[in-house]
Parts: sequence; structure tokens; C-alpha cells
Amino acid sequence: MTFLETIAHIVDLVPVLLRVTTPILLAALGVHISQKAGVLNLGVEGMMLAAALAGVLASAASGSAWVGLAGALATGAVLGFLLSFAIHVLKADLILSGIALNMLAAAGTTLVLYMLTGDKGMSGSLSSGVLPSLAIPLIADIPVLGRLLSGHHVLTYLAFAMVPVVAVLMMRTPFGIRLRAVGESAEAAATAGIDVARMQIAALVLSGLLAGAAGAFLSMGYVSWFSQNMSGGRGFVALAADLMGYGSAWGTMAASLLLGAADAFVISLQGKGIPSELLQSLPYIVPIVALVIHARARRKRFVRI
Amino acid sequence: MIRRTLAPFALTVLVLIVAVAAVLIPVALATPDPIGMIDTFLFGPFRTFRHTGNIVEMATPAMLCGLAVALMFRAGMFNLGVEGAFFLGALATAAIVILVPLPGWAMAPVALAGGMIVGSSACVVPGVLRNRFEVSELVSSLMLNFAVMFIGLYVVNSVLRDPSAGAMVSYRIPADARLPRIVEGTRIHLGTIFAFLACIAGSIYLFRTKAGYESRIVGANPGFAAHLGLPIRSVMLRAQVLGGTIAALAGGIELLGLYQRFSWQGLPGNGWTGVVVAILARDRPLLLIPSALFLSYLQVGGDLVARNHDVPNEVVGLIQALILILVTASAITRSPRLLALLSGKRKEGHA
Repeated sequence: MTFLETIAHIVDLVPVLLRVTTPILLAALGVHISQKAGVLNLGVEGMMLAAALAGVLASAASGSAWVGLAGALATGAVLGFLLSFAIHVLKADLILSGIALNMLAAAGTTLVLYMLTGDKGMSGSLSSGVLPSLAIPLIADIPVLGRLLSGHHVLTYLAFAMVPVVAVLMMRTPFGIRLRAVGESAEAAATAGIDVARMQIAALVLSGLLAGAAGAFLSMGYVSWFSQNMSGGRGFVALAADLMGYGSAWGTMAASLLLGAADAFVISLQGKGIPSELLQSLPYIVPIVALVIHARARRKRFVRI
Repeated sequence: MIRRTLAPFALTVLVLIVAVAAVLIPVALATPDPIGMIDTFLFGPFRTFRHTGNIVEMATPAMLCGLAVALMFRAGMFNLGVEGAFFLGALATAAIVILVPLPGWAMAPVALAGGMIVGSSACVVPGVLRNRFEVSELVSSLMLNFAVMFIGLYVVNSVLRDPSAGAMVSYRIPADARLPRIVEGTRIHLGTIFAFLACIAGSIYLFRTKAGYESRIVGANPGFAAHLGLPIRSVMLRAQVLGGTIAALAGGIELLGLYQRFSWQGLPGNGWTGVVVAILARDRPLLLIPSALFLSYLQVGGDLVARNHDVPNEVVGLIQALILILVTASAITRSPRLLALLSGKRKEGHA
């Protein structure tokens, strides 16, 4: 009986794990694409935050959660384009522009929220929608498998579906090969006739779309409100997930799941007597420790080769 | 000749004006009294002596955080732990003055030194991880900031919290530990003088000492530094230890200079202001002084507008972000056409 209970307990944890991994994975895939093109998207945190607010606003204005999602995606894409504009047209520094984008989003979302609702902290007065969870017919009725595979959020399915899509896009299509060529050596790629600027703009817009989906999940995934700084560093965790992913979409997924597991662990410990502030610090300490372990493993691997 | 050398400076001023106008005008038009709001923002800080003093008060942490960032960026280290170091430095300083029984005269120096050691870890840990394991200091410092904040809030809540205060704030900071005020009618304190001196010392360090020269070479051209046989790793780590220490000290000085209790519920944002200050000063320590004063002027203007015109002071954050992009945009700041325009036909470049 205890063995079965343990199994049941683990099965119960899977939906939580997938839920907290979703925004990290979506954002990390976005970072992955930008990283491959040689333009690390440090603004992913700000893109998520701005998209989260845009989703709530578009949803409240239209009455449809799907329009909200479209608004969030569009906001992410536009910010991705603006970031590439700063880098390519204004010739600004990549990292500093990313930092500026995060500052812009943090201040801008608060300002817009206040101007529209008179409240700086929450969008509670706006009635925005929630994107649905999907029950897969037939599979949902199977005892354990149904719990594992069915009933997750539509963006959770999207996130995990994007992993093979991004992997194929990057590794198997001419577009992906050009993108990676630009990331490896912009000069060489330019000599080979690739339009470097155009590839990097495309990479950052794609990156912004994925960050936008991550932002939509935050404000419309399970809740129906936006709150100040609700991205809370998940974009930076996504950066770590990408660094740990060995430069592949599947590796990024594995890293995202690992970092998501830290989040899920924290959630499962809540209300068990451990001070909440210490618990809340864990999701940020785990990626640092994981990066160190990963860096040591990588070094060993290189030594062996 | 003078015009030509001043042209880049004039261009920076022009960029700042554009950045301020680009944010201020649209926001002002959304308020019932646009002219009044812009007037308050731009001239309010100079209307009363107290508000002008606020500029100098705010410039104090901005100068020190800017110096911390500049020293690290000069060595090529994108360590963003300044925000965490500032927070932790202030917290550790508060903890020492509240918990450790010390004679009055020793309180501030001992607490600030302790705050420096504890607080600098927010920059030193990412530095060591970079040094030992090649972990990106950029990413680890960003995450450590959040970890430091939550652990710090735990300490405030469980150790330093004054149950009689109502809110989640620490016990009172003893009067003996506070830094003395130096200008009547304002809250300008001894730390301000220290910040000025630190910027001068930073300039001497970077441009007049061997260690500073080494760090500039490592930052500007690591390959060349390697050929010279410079100890690159230790130069990089040294910059981050210095940066973290200065940022933590800035936090301690801010706390003992202006606060009655430790009352932050989150990261205060001074570290990010420091990044903008350093970038605007082009990582030159002496230019940090006008740069910090200017950004603090915007901050005071923003606060006045927030109080009188119902516009959140996040407006200043927007301006800061815009400044950060525009000032690093070499298409603008190194544009031959713009520079020629300013040095030849226009008067802005003229002294």
C-alpha cells in the first residue's frame, strides 16, 4: 500500500512540475534561439513581464483570453524587434540594451497599469480571461497515464511541443543552419552571403514570441491578473537553463525541467514550518549550484576529448 | 579645436535632452496639467533648498554604485551583483549596529567594515565562480541578487524585526551610529564627501596605478593581456572584489546616513541606477560625479511629480532605460555627421 501511495504521490507532483516548468521552458527556448544566433537575449525577463501585462490588457479589452494571448505574443515579438533595432540600427551594446529593456519593462508596466487602473501593484480591477487546460479525450480516462498526459495547460503542451520544433528548426532547416552560422562567426557568415542583421532580427523576434508566450502563461495561465514584477527573475532562470542545455533544444528542456523541479520542490514544502523567505530563495540558488556542477562536468568532458 | 573636443560632450547632452523629452512629453500629455507637470519635473528640484539637497543625497549611493560598476565593467566583467551587494551591505551594517554592543564612536566604522565584508559576497561569489568554473558571472549574479534579497528579508523578519513597529522593519538604528549631517537644512551627510573622494580615488586607481592599468588592458583586450602574461583571472577577480566592496559600503553608508531603521521590503534599485550612472560616465570615475548628480536630479524631479501630479515615479525608470540605450548607441554617439554638425555649425559645442 505504501508503495502505491508513493507512486500516487509522485504522479500528483508531475502536473505541478510541468506547470512551473512551462514559463521557464518557453523563455529558455527563446533564449536558446537568440544564443544560437549570437545575440543572447538578456531582455527575456522584461519581455515576459511586458507580455504578461499586454495579455491581461488585450484580454480585458476584448473579453477573450485568446486575443490576450495574441497580444502577449505580439508584445514579445515587438520587443524582440526593438532589441534588434537597438543593436543593429543604433549599434548599441547587446547586454546593456538587454538590461535597458528589463528596466523599461519594469517601469513601463507599472506606469501603464497605474494610468489605466489607478493601482500600481495589481490588475485586479480588470476582468481578464484565463487560457484553458486541455483534457485529451480517451487518454484522460486511463488511470495513471491520464493524470500524466492529460489535463495540462494549453501553453504547457505548446511549450513541450516547441522543443522538437525548435530542435528541427535549428538543426535541420536552411534557416537554422544560417542562423547558427551567424552565431558561430558573423564575419564568415557575411562572407558566405548571409544577411547577418536579418538573421539576428529574426532570431530576436522568435525569441520574443516565445518569451511572450511565457509571459502570457504567468498572467493568464492559472490566474487572471497581472502583478508588479510578476516575472520575478524567471527570465534569468531561463538564461541559466539555456547555458546548461549544451546548446541543444532537448538539453534546454532537460535543464528547464531540472530548474522547474526546484520550484516544484519549494511549492511542496510550503506550509511545513520552513520560513517562506528561505524557501523562496531556493529557486535562485539551485540554478547557481547547477551551473557550477554543469561547468565542472563540461570541463571534465573536454579533458577526456 | 575646443569645439571639436567638446562635440562628443555636447552630443551626450543632446542625447540626454532627447531621452528626457521623449518620455516626459507623452506622459505629461496624459495628465490634466501637462505644463505644470513638466515644470515641476524640470525646475521643482531647484525651487527649495531641501529638494536641491535631495539631489546630492541621492547622488551619494549613485556615485558609489556607479564606481563599483565602472571598475568591474572596465575589467570586462559584466557582474550585476551591485544591486544585491548594496542591499546586503546595508542589511549587514544594520545588523551589526543593532545586535553588537559597541562604544558609540566605533559603531559606524565597525558596522560599515562588517557590511563591506558580508555585502561584497553578492559580487565576489559570481566572481569566484567565474574564476574557478567559468560560470557566466552575468547570469549567476542576476540570480544571486534574488537569493540575497529573500535571505536578507528572512534575517529582517526573524532576527532584526521590531515587534512594536507594526510594519516589517528592524529595530531603531542607535543615534550614535548615524553619519553626521554636514549641511544645515538638508540631509546631506558625511557619506557624500566620502563618495566624492572615492570617485577621485577610483580615477587615480584606474589611470595612475599598475593594478588599474592591468585591469583596463584585461577589459579592453583579453587576448593582448594574455600575450603580455598578465594574471587575467586574478585581475578579473580583483575588480569584482573591489566592485562588491564599494557597492556594499554604499549600502551601509546609505543606511547610516539616511535611515532610522532597515525598512526595505525588496531590492532598492540603486545598483541598476549605478549601471546607468557608470555607462553615462563612460566608466570614467571622475565623470561619475556629474553623471550621478544628473540622474539623481531626474529622480528628485520624478518624486516631486509623483507627489504633486499623480504620475508614478516609474517615469524616471523609463528615462533611465532610454538613456542606457541611447548613450551606448554608437550609431548616435559616434556619428561623424552629428559630431561635425555640433563642432562646426552649431553653438552647443562651444565653451
